[in-house]
Amino acid sequence: MRLLTAIITALTLATALDSDFAFAPPASGSVLSSADRSATSEPLAIVVNQSNPTDNLSLAELRRVLLGGRNYWSNGRRITVVMRDPDDLERKVILREVCGMTEEQLKNHILRGLFTGEILVSPKILSSPAGVRKFVFNVPGGIGYLRLSDVDSSVKILRIDQLLPEDKGYKLRIRSQAAD
Amino acid sequence: MKADTSKKRKVWSPYHLPFLVRHLAAGSRYDGIFLLLIVSSIVATVAVFVIRDLQASNMEAQIMYTGAVRGLQRIGELQYDTQETRRATLYALTTSDSNLQVEYADQSRAADLRVRNGIAEYALQANIASKVKLASRLNLDWTHYLHIRDEVLASILEGSTREAVSLDLTGGVPAFERVRQDLNEVKRLYEQDAAERLNNLVASSHRSMWRLLAILIFTFLLSLAAVWVIQRGRMLSTIHLAKLQMEFVASVSHELRTPLAVLSSASDNLADGLIHEESALRRYGAVLQHQSRKMTALVDQILLFASTEDRRNRYILHPVDVAQVLDSVLESTAELTKKDGFIIDRDIQPGLPLVSGDPLGISQCLQNLISNAVKYSGDERRIAVRGTLERSDRGSDHEVQISVIDKGIGIDRSELTRIFEPFYRSPRVNGLQIYGTGLGLSLAKRIAESMGGRITVNSGLSTGSTFVLHLLTAKEEGQSTASEGVQHARQ
Repeated sequence: MRLLTAIITALTLATALDSDFAFAPPASGSVLSSADRSATSEPLAIVVNQSNPTDNLSLAELRRVLLGGRNYWSNGRRITVVMRDPDDLERKVILREVCGMTEEQLKNHILRGLFTGEILVSPKILSSPAGVRKFVFNVPGGIGYLRLSDVDSSVKILRIDQLLPEDKGYKLRIRSQAAD
Repeated sequence: MKADTSKKRKVWSPYHLPFLVRHLAAGSRYDGIFLLLIVSSIVATVAVFVIRDLQASNMEAQIMYTGAVRGLQRIGELQYDTQETRRATLYALTTSDSNLQVEYADQSRAADLRVRNGIAEYALQANIASKVKLASRLNLDWTHYLHIRDEVLASILEGSTREAVSLDLTGGVPAFERVRQDLNEVKRLYEQDAAERLNNLVASSHRSMWRLLAILIFTFLLSLAAVWVIQRGRMLSTIHLAKLQMEFVASVSHELRTPLAVLSSASDNLADGLIHEESALRRYGAVLQHQSRKMTALVDQILLFASTEDRRNRYILHPVDVAQVLDSVLESTAELTKKDGFIIDRDIQPGLPLVSGDPLGISQCLQNLISNAVKYSGDERRIAVRGTLERSDRGSDHEVQISVIDKGIGIDRSELTRIFEPFYRSPRVNGLQIYGTGLGLSLAKRIAESMGGRITVNSGLSTGSTFVLHLLTAKEEGQSTASEGVQHARQ
């Protein structure tokens, strides 16, 4: 039994080590090309509090923010990431398209970041788009993601690589295949 | 003796206030109905006034009560919502579930919105400087607290519980305390305002009570005055009647005493055998006959008056030739008029229609009017009797008017309405020692009215009098009046 536990721990650590590679930008093949965008795909907006002075993030910066590589906004507000439940479709898209991680890799990354002090606050988990929206509305340093149809004026949409969700070439989209 | 009588009449008594007596007597005759109507109208007006006053007071009390309840409710709601804003924020501290924390944040913001609305409503209703200032301060303090509340909520949602608690203790608690004090001040001002309104209401209620009391006293006094006037009127009327009756008795006695004295003297002379000559005996017989007829006529008049006292129609009406009746009357009064040297001008319009009446009644009326003219003609010995057909001013088209006109002493204007009262004798006439029963005109008037007619008079002092007997023409009234007369006859 102890042997089995040791093996699992070793595998977990190995996976965690592998995840370091995941900090690298995702392979170009994993990014949705315009050809992949189907008519049914819906943009995924990255939202922050209305008081947040930041308007644009590169995809790499967004990755750093979501994974705890950056803890403060330019106005000095602490960054608080809000995410959906692990089984949620939007979360899967974010993990895959932004973080380039699996759920397990993200979990290990956060545990390690909290342990080492690199991550100040673990991501908050909310079960509904409305919850995410209200959270970001209430927390000046909050950042989260929502389907574009769930966004309202209580939050601010960030440009990613200078593109808004409606813009052509916007990369964060939920494809119908992703639901499968 | 007569001078004494006139002196006695100058002594003041309520009876000598003709105007008052007349009106009070009128009040008595109609059993004070008129006065009661006036009093009732005044009381009804006063009642309307009182009811309106009470309604206004009730309305004021109702508005105040409703306003007080509503105001207290709004202040209570405001206090509750401020507490709810803070309570929901603190609830978020008790859980680490972000979903619950967001829900509590939502609740806090919903309560905060209600508080903002409440403050805006209070500011809108602030009508004095102190309230406006307080509303502004409350708004400022609440905004300050909300700023801290937002920071606390953000810290809670970020997961920094310690920081949230620290923020709340250092900033939230004092800020909320200021809001609480502001709300207490709002309540204090409201209570002060309510107390003032209550005082106003109490004052208004007192005013209403005094007004009501005054009105009741006024109404009571008015009723007393009305009762007094009615009773006084009845009493004066009774006194007046008694006086008239006494004068009547005196007058009748005087009228009877003169012929009785003549009769007594003549009968004594005859009984004592003092009269032997045939011519003297004849003269005495004529005197006795004249005086006894005079007494009979007087007694007849009194009996006639007594019989018409009930004012019922005692005549069977039928078409009468008024010219014939007038000629008969002139014939029967010829002795009277010739004796005193009167000239009667008879002027009857030819072709006068028949009138509806009773020959005897018309005759009695005209006799009384002519006797009256003779009695009060003074030195002017000319009387005119005219009969004309005139347009009636009382509904029917035409009527026959028989006017008896003299140029005698006339009647004072103030006495014109009284001369038809039974037993009434003008003080001026008494002063002139013209005796009478005071029944002649009253009797004539009653007889005329019994036949459906009337008597009017037009007179002035020293210019003479014109008495007019109005009789309905038989063409219009004959049948119906005759049947009415038959009915009366059957009764």
